[in-house]
Amino acid sequence: MINYLDKIKNSGVTRRLFLILGSFIAGVSLSAQTSLKVDAPRVVESGESFQVVFSVNAEPSSFNLPSITDFDLLAGPSQSRMSSTQIINGKRSESISISYTYVLAPRSEGKFTIPSATVVVDGKSYSSSPVTIEVVKGDGSAKSSESAQTATTVSSDDLFLKISLSKGRVVKGEHLIATVKLYTKVPIAGFEDVRFPSFNGFWSQEIDTPQNIEFVRESIDGKIYNSALLRRYMLLPQQSGTLTIDAAEMICQVQIRSAGGASRSLFDDFFDSYSTVRKRVSSTAVRVVVDPLPQGAPASFQGGVGEFTMNAKLSRDSINANEALSLIVNISGTGNINLIEAPKIAFPAGFEVYDTKISDNSSKGSRGATGSKQFEYPIIPRGPGEYTIPKVEFSFYDIAKKRYITLFSDDLNLKVGRDAGGGSVSQPGLSLGVNRQAVRSITEDIRYIHSGASRLKKGNLFFFASLFYFFAILMIISLYIFTEKILSKRVERNRDIAGVKNRRANKVARARLKNAETLLKQGIYMGFYEELHRALLGYVSDKLNLSLADLSRDKIREELVFKKVDFGQIEELLYLLEQCEYARYAPDPGGGEMDKNYTKAISLISEMEL
Amino acid sequence: MSSVFFSKFSNDMFRVNYMDMKKAIIGALLVLLPFIAFSQAASPKVSDLWESAGELYSKGNFSEALAQYQEIEKSGHTSEPLLYNIANCYFKEKQWGKSILYYERALKLNPGSNDTQNNLKLAKEFAIDKIEELPEFILRTWIRDVNYMLSSNEWTYISLLFFALTALLLLNFRYGPSSAVRKISFFASMFSLLVGIILTLFAWSQRSSYNRRDTAIVMMPVSTVRSSPDGSGNTLFILHEGTKVEMIEQLGSWKRIELADGRQGWIPAGDLEVI
Repeated sequence: MINYLDKIKNSGVTRRLFLILGSFIAGVSLSAQTSLKVDAPRVVESGESFQVVFSVNAEPSSFNLPSITDFDLLAGPSQSRMSSTQIINGKRSESISISYTYVLAPRSEGKFTIPSATVVVDGKSYSSSPVTIEVVKGDGSAKSSESAQTATTVSSDDLFLKISLSKGRVVKGEHLIATVKLYTKVPIAGFEDVRFPSFNGFWSQEIDTPQNIEFVRESIDGKIYNSALLRRYMLLPQQSGTLTIDAAEMICQVQIRSAGGASRSLFDDFFDSYSTVRKRVSSTAVRVVVDPLPQGAPASFQGGVGEFTMNAKLSRDSINANEALSLIVNISGTGNINLIEAPKIAFPAGFEVYDTKISDNSSKGSRGATGSKQFEYPIIPRGPGEYTIPKVEFSFYDIAKKRYITLFSDDLNLKVGRDAGGGSVSQPGLSLGVNRQAVRSITEDIRYIHSGASRLKKGNLFFFASLFYFFAILMIISLYIFTEKILSKRVERNRDIAGVKNRRANKVARARLKNAETLLKQGIYMGFYEELHRALLGYVSDKLNLSLADLSRDKIREELVFKKVDFGQIEELLYLLEQCEYARYAPDPGGGEMDKNYTKAISLISEMEL
Repeated sequence: MSSVFFSKFSNDMFRVNYMDMKKAIIGALLVLLPFIAFSQAASPKVSDLWESAGELYSKGNFSEALAQYQEIEKSGHTSEPLLYNIANCYFKEKQWGKSILYYERALKLNPGSNDTQNNLKLAKEFAIDKIEELPEFILRTWIRDVNYMLSSNEWTYISLLFFALTALLLLNFRYGPSSAVRKISFFASMFSLLVGIILTLFAWSQRSSYNRRDTAIVMMPVSTVRSSPDGSGNTLFILHEGTKVEMIEQLGSWKRIELADGRQGWIPAGDLEVI
């Protein structure tokens, strides 16, 4: 409050305001801390007289005033004393303020320093800070400030808003500071309807919002204004291109002297010579050129611009399965730290990861946001083993070096032991054994080209119904017919051979028995059997290739068995031979005995012949 | 007596039969051999192109690989692997319509190809139009599934083998050693003939569907289907690149088409490319 009052008291232009307000609020409160303050305007016009006030809020034992050499001392130092006593709820407090006032006038233009003053209070010495005062040429408005106040209208030159930017050209994400200030040459009683810009395309945050409007003298183009900081913003451009900050607007209640007549009395002058005029002021729109970030951002880049450091650590190095721990990533530095997102971390499979906890410990100032941001990833490993969490990667764009920088943490190793609790697994059915998972497709892609045989072909691609196909069918049919023909012919011929053989065998037998046949017809019993015996033996000797002398019953049987002649036939033959031998010595039994034996012999020879 | 006669006869007969059959089989194989390897080798220039295109594809140079494959195609050669590879190149070049067209062409040559079906499914994901196909009689689907297990040529070879088997079994039926064997041979031969005919039908149906060329793919990003074959007809619906349509008739430069869901309309012939 003191500060505010002092400022107003020394502003010169607002002295009237002080007069009105001062009587009400003077000495309301005083700080208990002893301090020596110096109050002087920062800018003065040449030829203008101004005050420099050193004030101390305690009874000093000695006061060392600086020697002022760069300015003409018009008056002073004059000491003034102010003390107040307060009783609030029976509690009494006293305050005192002693001030030394110099009235100075500049000698020439330039910057000059008023050295520090020293005061000793209760044996302790305090000194003020040196003050630099700029002397400008000026247009005389300050000197004739009284006349300025008498103007009945307020020009836009006397009262305006201005938005000033710390930088006119930034890259996307780089911070800049926008300051909204009010400049005035006329006294202002108050504000209404203040509208600050919306900062489209920017992420904005107020970093300086004064509770009290403090006016400070400032020179603009050689003119002295009282300026007041209304707001200060930190801006982070969110898009590239030329961004426009729209104008700030407000309505000022300006005090001007009412255009009264000459008949005004002294009291009129005191009470009623000022009226309040509402004046709308607005700033001009400001443009900012925002360059896009260069190409080739690393994969882990998420918009961080500035200068950062990173470290990552696990809250524990070893843990049992199904217990929680967290991975803590700390990013600190300067830049748009408040907009940095949590780095993406590829946790090993089998880790359950929960929502990241973010705590922002950054402070915003004229250098952008500074501080640190902490990301905490709560994780629960579900299975025992030794795991390595891949390096945490964080990329940002370094404005000073104008390139992307990627920071890596170390590999984070984690030892996970067996589940100590034994059974707090989320899947109740799978308390034992491995946690089985289906093979997941990461992405789908087409299958690879055929690289083997090209099987390229011209013309008709189909074998079916091609010339070759019909040829093949024809081939199968003709081969069938051909084979069929051959086979049927063979069978036919085989049948013929059997017939021929049969006929030949009969012929042989008949030829052999030709003599026997004639004797049979003549009825010569003895001769017939003799002839039959001879014929049969001759046949057998021819068949077996043996001489007649060698033929005996046993020999015949042996040889015929060896020749695989049917057993019955052999017996029949031997029986026949025996019959023939008997017949030579026995009389004819008569009947068809001779005929029977004859046909038997014929059929026997025929069959054996085959 | 007669049994002796018969056994001698049949012994003889069997020997003759067996030797003749062996001869017949060898003869048939010798005759068929050139047909089994009936595709003539491509010229060295074309096979060089094939090799280098495959190499380019493996290096990720899809556009050059595509150009080489197209050169092979221009020379008049075709094969299922070639069409499949061209489709893959188009897919990698993100030309979905062309890619679908070539996958469909490859499928016509070998409807059973697993790779082609898989890739076609993926390529169709990029086509905008989603058409609900009308449900089909289940038996038809089954028969088609069996049919498309092998390509036309493979069915043809197998059917020829069955016909040859039929011939052998018929011979056995005629000259078999016993009546039981002959009986079995007869039924087996009839069965094998039936299988041969069915397989021939499979081969024929694949070939005829390839030769019919009555399906097409929309190649324009946006194509308007109208109610009449002129520009003044009402717009019925709009098709996008990659949609398969069936062509019914042609009138001037307009084609009457039918979608898989049964809707019909007229489309400019230039917007389509026949599979």
